[in-house]
Amino acid sequence: MTRLAGKHAFVTGGRQGIGRGIVVAFVSEGAAVTTCGRGPRPDDLPETVAWHTLDVTDAAAVAQVVQPMDILVNNAGVQVEKTVAESTDADWEAVIGPNCRGVFNMCRAFIPVMKRGSIINIGSISGQVADPSMALYNASKAFVHGLTRSIAVDHGPRIRCNAICPGWINTGMLEAGFDLAKDPGAARNDAIARHPVGRFGEPEDIAAMAIWLASDEAAFASGQLFTLDGGMTAASPLNPGLF
Amino acid sequence: MGTLEGKVALVTGGRGGIGRAICDRFLREGATVFAADLSAAGSLSSPDGESRFVQLDVTSEPSVQAAMAHVGDEAGQLDILVNAAGIEIEKTIEETSLEEWNHSFAVNVTGTFLTSKHSLPLMRKAASAGASASIINFGSYDGFIADPGLAAYCATKGAVHALTRAMACDHGPEGIRVNAICPGYVDTPMMQSFFSGDAVGGTGKSEETLRQAMRDVHPMRTYGTPDDIANLVNWLASDEARYASGQLWVIDGGLSAQVQQMRL
Repeated sequence: MTRLAGKHAFVTGGRQGIGRGIVVAFVSEGAAVTTCGRGPRPDDLPETVAWHTLDVTDAAAVAQVVQPMDILVNNAGVQVEKTVAESTDADWEAVIGPNCRGVFNMCRAFIPVMKRGSIINIGSISGQVADPSMALYNASKAFVHGLTRSIAVDHGPRIRCNAICPGWINTGMLEAGFDLAKDPGAARNDAIARHPVGRFGEPEDIAAMAIWLASDEAAFASGQLFTLDGGMTAASPLNPGLF
Repeated sequence: MGTLEGKVALVTGGRGGIGRAICDRFLREGATVFAADLSAAGSLSSPDGESRFVQLDVTSEPSVQAAMAHVGDEAGQLDILVNAAGIEIEKTIEETSLEEWNHSFAVNVTGTFLTSKHSLPLMRKAASAGASASIINFGSYDGFIADPGLAAYCATKGAVHALTRAMACDHGPEGIRVNAICPGYVDTPMMQSFFSGDAVGGTGKSEETLRQAMRDVHPMRTYGTPDDIANLVNWLASDEARYASGQLWVIDGGLSAQVQQMRL
């Protein structure tokens, strides 16, 4: 299908995980896609996709890659699994840098050159309800949610801006979360049982929503947080069925 | 190839403003569509096919059971249920009679309960075929924040939101996804009624003045069309939304992202 034919999209964090899923999905919908990451171009990136080696926390570097876009997806993000008391200044820079300053840098640079368009920020269910030992990450995603609403209000009707709030998606980040558990296998089974749809999400699930929000079908959607979590946060955390 | 090829859908309120747009969109996407409503006003045809009309009073359990039996006989399963039937009483609680209150809940809440309850056997058949079945309820942005003079309506939509989450938890393991669409202002007969209703009709301003004021308060500088809502309903009904469940999907042109209130 070609729901994004003729559109040009910039997706941050396209090396792996959700970002890569969105890059691949956008290409299959006919978009011209540019993506970026802090390292060199990944060998397995489709040839038609343009790559920038870019640290989104560096505003001057972001300014170097700005060009008119129809779609901007701020996906690049970092998590550190620590409480507030454990978090160091370096952890603050590692998380708040990309997740907050990076999203801000990208939006500030691209909004003036986007004639009309759709900005899609990757928020998180963790910005609405707290994951344990993820203090800075949780707070950084709440920042993304607030920034999303502000952009929609200030820059509509020229720009639509929405956030997708993924739940637990099968990526390296999810594995890192389970590595914290005493028994990662048991934790994984318990977590799946808390999902009404009976599984974790895949990057393709998030990409499907990103396509819709990027497309003209979503012309009336702006300023919202769209949660895709297989029903997990619709249920109370106290799930008596699991006792 | 449509996104709903081979799927069977029933849309309550299928002859109304938003329900009609949903039926037309589903037909275009290749679904078999049952348009359920109190009466079959207007044509059931669209350029992409014809909906099958089902006479349905969502407040009546026998009527709901008869409608589901009809769908079962004709199609054997139900992949998509859209609970779009709804009414709006434009009054404060002081002005609202008990009868009006009960009628609001009967249509908006009990109707959603009854059609969902009696759709489950047919939806399990659709889900067991490998794909997920999808129930899409109609909440409203009014279930989160209130408009003046819409007390019973706001309360019914809050109830639909909670019911949506509960149904998602209970029936997700059976392969049935449940979500609610929460529209903001959409150009329908219901919105027309709001303009002429007590809440704003007494201002003495022309309808066009009121419509422009309403456009201006949206970050997207427009209110929605039934097609805007049908676009999201179609996505939630499709297999692309296979990981979407238990959520309330606000689509309001940015209206409720801001603190600013309507100034009619």
